[in-house]
Amino acid sequence: MGTPSESEFARLIDTLAADPHRREELTDWLREDHPVYDQRGTATVVRMRGWILLALARAGITEKSLLFVLEELDNGIDPYLVAAAASALRSYQTPNAVFAPILMRALDQIRYRDDPVSFAGYGAYAVSGDQTSPVRELLKTLLWLGPLARSVLPDLEAIRAERSGGLAKKLLPELDQTVSVIAGENRRPHRETESCCALPDNLATKLLWPRGARLSADAIESTTFEDHEGAPVTFREFFRGHPSIVVFFYTRCDNPLKCSLTVTKLARVQKLLAEQGLADQISTAAITYDPEFDLAKRIRVYGQDRGVCLNLHHRMLRTTAGFEALRTHFKLGVNFIESLVNRHRIEAYVLDCEGRIAARFERLRWDEQEVVDRAATVLNERDPAGAPAVKESAAARQVARTTVPLLGTIASLGVAFFPKCPICWAAYLSMFGVAGLNQIPYSPWLQPLLIALMLINLVSVWLRSWFTGRMLGSYLVTAGAVVILIAKIWPTWEKAVMWGVVLTFAGSVLSAAGSLTRRKQLASS
Amino acid sequence: MTTKKKSGKAAPKISPRAALAKATNKKAPAAERINAFTQAPLAACESDENLQKVLTVLRNKQEPVAVRLAALQSLAAAAFSAIAFEPCRNDYIATLREISQDDDPEIRERALGLLMREQDGFAQKALLDGLKKPVKALVSPEKALQLLSYDVHAEAYAAAREIVSKPPNPDAKQEALRLLAADARSAPLFEQVLRDKDELRENRQIAASALSALDPEKFQNSAREILLDRSEFEDIQATSLTALSHFADQEELAKDKPLMKSIDRLSSKAKSAKYKRSARQFLAKRDR
Repeated sequence: MGTPSESEFARLIDTLAADPHRREELTDWLREDHPVYDQRGTATVVRMRGWILLALARAGITEKSLLFVLEELDNGIDPYLVAAAASALRSYQTPNAVFAPILMRALDQIRYRDDPVSFAGYGAYAVSGDQTSPVRELLKTLLWLGPLARSVLPDLEAIRAERSGGLAKKLLPELDQTVSVIAGENRRPHRETESCCALPDNLATKLLWPRGARLSADAIESTTFEDHEGAPVTFREFFRGHPSIVVFFYTRCDNPLKCSLTVTKLARVQKLLAEQGLADQISTAAITYDPEFDLAKRIRVYGQDRGVCLNLHHRMLRTTAGFEALRTHFKLGVNFIESLVNRHRIEAYVLDCEGRIAARFERLRWDEQEVVDRAATVLNERDPAGAPAVKESAAARQVARTTVPLLGTIASLGVAFFPKCPICWAAYLSMFGVAGLNQIPYSPWLQPLLIALMLINLVSVWLRSWFTGRMLGSYLVTAGAVVILIAKIWPTWEKAVMWGVVLTFAGSVLSAAGSLTRRKQLASS
Repeated sequence: MTTKKKSGKAAPKISPRAALAKATNKKAPAAERINAFTQAPLAACESDENLQKVLTVLRNKQEPVAVRLAALQSLAAAAFSAIAFEPCRNDYIATLREISQDDDPEIRERALGLLMREQDGFAQKALLDGLKKPVKALVSPEKALQLLSYDVHAEAYAAAREIVSKPPNPDAKQEALRLLAADARSAPLFEQVLRDKDELRENRQIAASALSALDPEKFQNSAREILLDRSEFEDIQATSLTALSHFADQEELAKDKPLMKSIDRLSSKAKSAKYKRSARQFLAKRDR
């Protein structure tokens, strides 16, 4: 069969949806690399995929197709596709609380592009505002979740309370109804629990291959690349001998939740690798889907603009020969019209030291820490003796995270109350006479040491604030340090010293808590 | 401003609501309504009632076209503020799609332009259909190509290539070349257009710019050949010179004696003082 026309395609999808024995096939047609999308424009691909999602909405989505529906809600920006995905989700057998944050995120992303859409027929476009829209479909799906969507109730109430802008007036009755049903107590409890944040186990957002089951990379060893500096390098040269984290992107991608975010996340991955001391042992690469347009300078600027660190271990790459082999080997979720991408999924890979795929993270936004952890595990495969080292370093980081603020505060206290002379020293220690501490000689060298410790805490808090974007802790600790130092220099300020300690302590705790929250947020996203 | 105050002819400033009331008042003179619409963007999206009033003017084919265009302009200005415009966007887009089929060509063109800026699939399909079947066309082929070029993902390359090979008019060919400037596979076409002395100079300029973005190496080779060619047009030589001075390997350039000689000739014998000056600047930077 040749390439079907759009109307033939629509009929075929209708036939599959109507046949209970063939409904499962619908999911296969959603794969980006399906030949049916080859040489179609992006708008055509949107019409086709939207029609499949609507067919799924009629036929009922299965475990297999659920991931594609959630993907569209997680990182889609096309109003028609988001609306169709929201509609399809309602056909899932059991509402689940985990869908609520995904729906809410979709609502936040699409609300400023709430264009009218039509589900009337294949390729139909709404020319009046009385048809449906992505926001309307998302609200309907949240309503379908009912009390299971309670985790997003504050967000919906915040939208309702907006004074400037806000949803269209015609959507307000639906918003009110959704809010009242979610908040309602009189609704029968669902079979599902209300615990959120765990996707169904069989949702294959990540695939891991054990060492013995990995496909050899021999077929792509000779693929040649040009890096961000224009230097040639082969797959074998760059990817052999150490594990790598690889993402795919292209600079002309107009979905900020895909390529731009992926490359930004790669920069975050690099920071995590550096923090764990793995930056020289695990390489990173961002490979463009669009090597004909994405010349060396373009990919370099694109990476640098998103904070990617570029050097011999970490490169942005464009293929100069062998892209098709690479596409086949990685089974890339991408398709093209001529040389331009018409649709692609989010995909990140961990390669082992032989360049074989050890893990793939796809479709939903991946977690940087999880990818780094996977790469670290793969690194230790090569050197089993190294395994405890990685665990130790993770444990050490955890200990450091809690002890640094504590030590910082103790140092501040030490600086604040450090005795001025041997007599004061004796008076202080006499309080600990029972423990025999009064035998310790006066040690003036302790003061600069304590000041140094206090400054280390200060720097550590500033670094943490820089990573988390929460600056209050660093401001408080800085203010605390300044107050303590002033109080030490000018005796008239002596009474303020306690405030300095309080500020330091509060700032250190806030900073540590901010770091913890940020990690949890990253994990949940 | 002072002059306006003195002459007393400046339009009195009125509140956005009052402006909207005047703009949508059918009995008011067209010129006053048009002027009022320029002051109304903030009020258009203040309430659903206001929005519907403006959309009614926009859709109404009995209204003067200039007033409808002013209403459209007012909404387009309001749409810049995405957050404040959120409650209005849905009806606005639906109305744009509706009036993109209007009897008036300017209304159609403006509506399609605004939709294409939003990468609207409806507008894209209508424009592509028009290029494939000119009887269905809502706008001229050159305008359709220009609007399609707003979205790099529009499937317009094949249609543009066809227009380059069989242009219905010179403007359409120019727009087709502009659109193809984002198509990596059109580099050979641009190389050919750039080297073709029978081609329109504007098209050769577009080709130079496109080739330097798509394949800098090929462009540098072509630029060198153009500078060495004594029978070449000066403006094309000047464009080539500018590109070489910015993008080429400067050390290699300095070693290229025939090229330097030809730039030297341009600096003394070019007919335009502007081109002479660029050539001199180029040589001066290399201590020549």
